[in-house]
Amino acid sequence: MPNFLHCARGVLLQIVLLISSLLVCSSAFAVLGQDIASVQSDGAHLKAAVRILPGRNYSIHELRATSGTAVKEFVSPAGHVFGVSWQGPTAPDLRQLLGEYFDQYTQAVQTARRVARRVVHIETGDLILESGGHMRFIVGRAYLRSKLPDGVGADAIH
Amino acid sequence: MQFTRGRIIGIACGFATVWLAGCGGSGSHKAAINNNSAPLVVNAGPANNYANGLFTTVTICAPGTSNCQAVSGVLVDTMSYGVRILASAIPSVNNALAQQKDANGSSVAECAQFSDGITWGPVKKADVKIAGEEAAGIPIQVIGDSAFSAVPAGCSSAGSPEDSLQSLGANGILGIGPFVQDCPACAPGTTNNQNFYYACAGSSCSVTTVGLPDQVQNPVAAFSVDNNGILVELPAASSSAVSLNGSLTFGIGTQTNNSLRNAQVYTINPNTGNISTTFKTKSYQSFLDTGSNAYFFLDSAATGMPTCPSPADGFYCPATLTNLSATNTGSNNASGSISFSIDNANTLFSNATASVFPTLGGPNTGTFDWGLPFFYGRSVFVAIEGATTAGGPGPYWAY
Repeated sequence: MPNFLHCARGVLLQIVLLISSLLVCSSAFAVLGQDIASVQSDGAHLKAAVRILPGRNYSIHELRATSGTAVKEFVSPAGHVFGVSWQGPTAPDLRQLLGEYFDQYTQAVQTARRVARRVVHIETGDLILESGGHMRFIVGRAYLRSKLPDGVGADAIH
Repeated sequence: MQFTRGRIIGIACGFATVWLAGCGGSGSHKAAINNNSAPLVVNAGPANNYANGLFTTVTICAPGTSNCQAVSGVLVDTMSYGVRILASAIPSVNNALAQQKDANGSSVAECAQFSDGITWGPVKKADVKIAGEEAAGIPIQVIGDSAFSAVPAGCSSAGSPEDSLQSLGANGILGIGPFVQDCPACAPGTTNNQNFYYACAGSSCSVTTVGLPDQVQNPVAAFSVDNNGILVELPAASSSAVSLNGSLTFGIGTQTNNSLRNAQVYTINPNTGNISTTFKTKSYQSFLDTGSNAYFFLDSAATGMPTCPSPADGFYCPATLTNLSATNTGSNNASGSISFSIDNANTLFSNATASVFPTLGGPNTGTFDWGLPFFYGRSVFVAIEGATTAGGPGPYWAY
């Protein structure tokens, strides 16, 4: 085998291994209401997995879940995750993404006699959570009202 | 009774059809008299807790046998794919259905993901019969099966389980939207790792892939005739009502009762399942969903309508009836405007006997969801992906 091909194959293998490690690194998600530093401590793999869009009032960290669902995390200048959004063929791991707010979500969706069907809209204290779309196209977002940076409206989170 | 000329011609044609079918005996003539229409009802459903719930009856049979059970109160859903039935609704036939196995002999189960929750349970093969149509030996999901009582953590992380009559509000879901399978992204060789299909050995379940033919799927595509789409017809509702009766007709242009006539075709994005809706100069991804029980769109800031106090906070509560309009546009650039009205949900719900609410709306920032009220007073066709119709190939909506 020519050396350059061997080398190319080696590089390819490394890329595949890197991608594989990214795919199994589910702890790459930050958690709503927590500090983004916990994500960055996941190391170099994560930096490659995340596309960071810096902004004046906040930055957006774009991730792709293992399922192929796109996840965005909205991070304040102080490093707090104040919002998350998702879109894809299936839902992301909401227990991980919402953290302590996951239980509020599951409790809020099972109540009233006449509830919204196929759309979730929850306003419980600080948490706003919305989910919609349909089978094979699930979209949603969640944010904390009190944690929105100055000058940032809810419509920024999408 | 006074016969008009049209009626006499209609009756004469009816006799001719029966006569032709009676003496012809070929497959095409047999198809012409196949009963392709099932009754629909909008009411509170079998759990008496639904607003704008569209229901029909589906018969589930052990494959190739006459061991069948008719299940009423099955939700008709134009934005999902596949038949899902509560185990509690098919007690006499559930154990006779054929459990689907993977190559290792593990039982296949499913965490079907909807935008408001999940349904969990085994995948089994059944003959599915609706009106005079049959989908023979297709994979369906049995929800809330006691042999699969533990929902895997990965599944419950995707949403809140709707595995009981109370939480589902229906005895099952008849998913007959514009696509065929429920999770192409779960097929081998795709992105994988979806918390959707599971292989279970005993009570231990792990995520697996399932090939397209073995996935839970739209039963209409598996019919031997009238299999290119559906027609949902519901009468208009000028105000809240106790119930509405309509029809679900299978096939597009396959019989005299499902001709496209002058319906406009809006082709659907084959990846997302969506069309586009423009509201006040902004465009949103949108869809027509009998399984959504209101007009779900935008938010209070964009519409000027506040949401209701809890527990009806999933709906709008404007001070007065609010008239709106929006424009739908298909991938084929066909477009047309829709006028609709939203009323105060708490006022609507104060009518304790009503289950039909043509002016019910709620917030939804991600998409523009034309729920069941859109279907009141309309004839809406859904053409299935890959199907051939007089209006062109599916997937499309036409109304």
